[in-house]
Amino acid sequence: MNIEKYPDAVRNCRFCFMCRHLSAVGNVTFTEADTPRIRAAMIYGAMLHPEWWRNPEYIDMLYRSDLSRNCTRHCVNHYDENALNIAARTDIVEMGLAPEAVKALRDELAATESWQTAGRGGVLYFIDPYTAEAKTDEVFAAVMKKAGKEYAAIRGGCIGRALEVLGYAPDAKQALEKFAAAVGQTGAKTLVVSNPAAYEMLKNGPARFGVGFPVTVMHTSEYLLTLDLAVVRPAGGLYYLESDYLRNYNELPFPHELLKKLGAEERHFGADRDWLGVPDQQESFTCGEGAVVLPKLYPELVKKLAAYVEKQADDPENDRIVVASPYTKLVLKKYTALRAETLEETVLAAL
Amino acid sequence: MPVAKNSYMYEMIRTELTDAIGAEYVCTCDDDRLGHSIDYYWIPEMWHDRGMETPKPDFIVHPGSAEDVSKIMKIANQYHIPVTPWGGGSGSQGGALPVYEGIILDTKRMNRIVRIDKQALTVTCQTGIIARHLEWQCNKQGVSTMHLPASIACATIGGFLAHRGTGVLSTKYGKIEDMVMSLEVVTPTGEIIRTLPVPRHASGPDLTMLFLGSEGTLGVITEVTLKIHPMPEAREFRAYVFPDFHTAMSAGAELMRSRLQPCAMRLYDETETLTYVSRVFGKTLDKGAYLVFGFDGKKDIVDLQMKYARQIMEEQFHGEDYGSQGGMDWWKNKYKFFYPGFMFHIPQAFGTLDTVATFSDIENVYWAMKNTVRENFPQARFIGHFSHWYEWGCMLYARFIFEEKDVPKDPREAAALYNRVWDLAIRAAIANGGVINEHHGVGLKLGRYMKDLYGPAMPVLEGIKKQFDPNNIMNPGKMGFKGL
Repeated sequence: MNIEKYPDAVRNCRFCFMCRHLSAVGNVTFTEADTPRIRAAMIYGAMLHPEWWRNPEYIDMLYRSDLSRNCTRHCVNHYDENALNIAARTDIVEMGLAPEAVKALRDELAATESWQTAGRGGVLYFIDPYTAEAKTDEVFAAVMKKAGKEYAAIRGGCIGRALEVLGYAPDAKQALEKFAAAVGQTGAKTLVVSNPAAYEMLKNGPARFGVGFPVTVMHTSEYLLTLDLAVVRPAGGLYYLESDYLRNYNELPFPHELLKKLGAEERHFGADRDWLGVPDQQESFTCGEGAVVLPKLYPELVKKLAAYVEKQADDPENDRIVVASPYTKLVLKKYTALRAETLEETVLAAL
Repeated sequence: MPVAKNSYMYEMIRTELTDAIGAEYVCTCDDDRLGHSIDYYWIPEMWHDRGMETPKPDFIVHPGSAEDVSKIMKIANQYHIPVTPWGGGSGSQGGALPVYEGIILDTKRMNRIVRIDKQALTVTCQTGIIARHLEWQCNKQGVSTMHLPASIACATIGGFLAHRGTGVLSTKYGKIEDMVMSLEVVTPTGEIIRTLPVPRHASGPDLTMLFLGSEGTLGVITEVTLKIHPMPEAREFRAYVFPDFHTAMSAGAELMRSRLQPCAMRLYDETETLTYVSRVFGKTLDKGAYLVFGFDGKKDIVDLQMKYARQIMEEQFHGEDYGSQGGMDWWKNKYKFFYPGFMFHIPQAFGTLDTVATFSDIENVYWAMKNTVRENFPQARFIGHFSHWYEWGCMLYARFIFEEKDVPKDPREAAALYNRVWDLAIRAAIANGGVINEHHGVGLKLGRYMKDLYGPAMPVLEGIKKQFDPNNIMNPGKMGFKGL
């Protein structure tokens, strides 16, 4: 089974409480089940009692996870309960036990693929549905115009991360292969991505799935740092909400470097501290970015995650909140009074 | 009594609970029932590891207020259903396990900070808040609870109150019971009461202290006012290695008798220094006993106290100075000891035989426990450190460890072996002036020793329990009190 690839997480997370305080879902549902400890304990139990896989309440618990991976970042041994959870979901799908809502979502995602490109240049910009809905692509276009740079854009489907987190690994691989082929046809040398979830899939997915990928992948923050941007209105005081995928999955320094280049004075969002009491954003404030499609399956849960983030703000209606993820921006806009903007918007405002 | 899940009585009770606090806050899902069937006690972990069925609650309720708790108590009394309070579930004594099924009262939704009073330097909060979250919010305001135990990330404030928890800075700031100003408590019969607003008075006996350490057997603590402290200007540590544990203990005791005010002190015996401290620090400490202590507060006062402490360590006891870096190694890594990979873990069998005694008795207690384990269980290892130091004595955090090959495969035999260690070691501690526990509590694990410990005073405790909880619904079978 896929879960057998993660024996350390099974054996260690099942009885460990040390990241309990960082469990984003657990902190809003208050249920013991919504913690890495109990998810791992359930998976261990299912290894001994295969009939547990047929319990819809156990399956639901696994799919509720936000997959933020901040537990792994926090853990001194970096045991990866998120990867274990995705492996368990993959096993669930392979056993034919996926919940109906998950199956329906898989069908919806798999049916959307129809890649279209526009524009020209060696740089290709990927527009996923969240990037489009948040109009981050339009902001990126405005930034590129100010920078005097030409680029092409590609849109039109699922590149596989959503399918992967739902447990459909072969479908995810196929989606990635198709996207790789479409990118290959453009002749681009660099692929720029705004959505951190897409960045993760395109940066690390090719190796994970054994798919050849023809271009260099950069997150927008990394790419924009390479441009000669003239800052005319320094960004000033703001709060940056870390992205699960950029920080916990990839440890990317670029968002902070970009903000510094824009003249931002970063303030610490929330109250969390590291072991020595130094302010450090240990919690996930992404509203479920890691799970990619959480609003489709658990909209009420996402609403609670957003309310939790709002509660952490010093001045909810006036604080300037910057996020890397268009998804997080959309959720915060929908459910809170927070003034959330994407990194791209922060860049544009400074130019 | 437990209620059969397929009975209409079960549905009737669920309906009443739902009506009382809302459907969203009454759970009967198998995932959450599993979640409340295993805490940090070795026995349920082992039971789960061996594929055995762990006792699960019938209902999990998530009250948001004392009023909600009161309603739940009244329903539970009406039907004589056991109620087990559950905070973070990270207790090591089985105190929050639903051994008689019934209702788990999960307090985590009661997580509101009511007020931070910077004049009196107190914080008032609901008790379901995870201690780390409370500490973060206090830090943001420039203050600290100074209650920083290893379980800070997972335990609730209520959990610490319920079993008299202790944090790493206890030597200066006290155990949790020293930090409490007042409590709000819901009694087993559903009355909401408050103890007096200040802890020092001459207005009758101390009702606050009655509830601290009661482990959910006398009611549910729903709100607390705690002392808080300004963040110290300086906090500095220093470490020494002594040739043996006895010399190190003498030096530590002398430091306490000097009435200097260390914020923390910890002494590891030779075995733990060699096997454990070295590994966590990533450094070689191949001989002797490691002693670390620190001071905090105003910088010049810290420096002055450190100067006198160094004189004790170096001139009186000739400790090998590992400097401030040697001390900071401990401070920076103090929680690392408890993460998987460093902490003992199933398939090992292990337990913390923590006790506390005066300086006159503590070494005798240590040797009595160590010799008991060594003589009766030669296959086990015994290590110990002394975590919390008071003017009169200190706490021994002794541990026994059986490797996988020495643990019976049969879960019943494994439990029997495990319980036998406790039987012998705890009684050895009591016989030498120790008590059965210092900060983990009694719970299920140690309940059977309460009569040994309290002797003729035990009926006094039983009488108090009966007065508060006439139907014996609150956490039955724990702390040596009657089960169902």
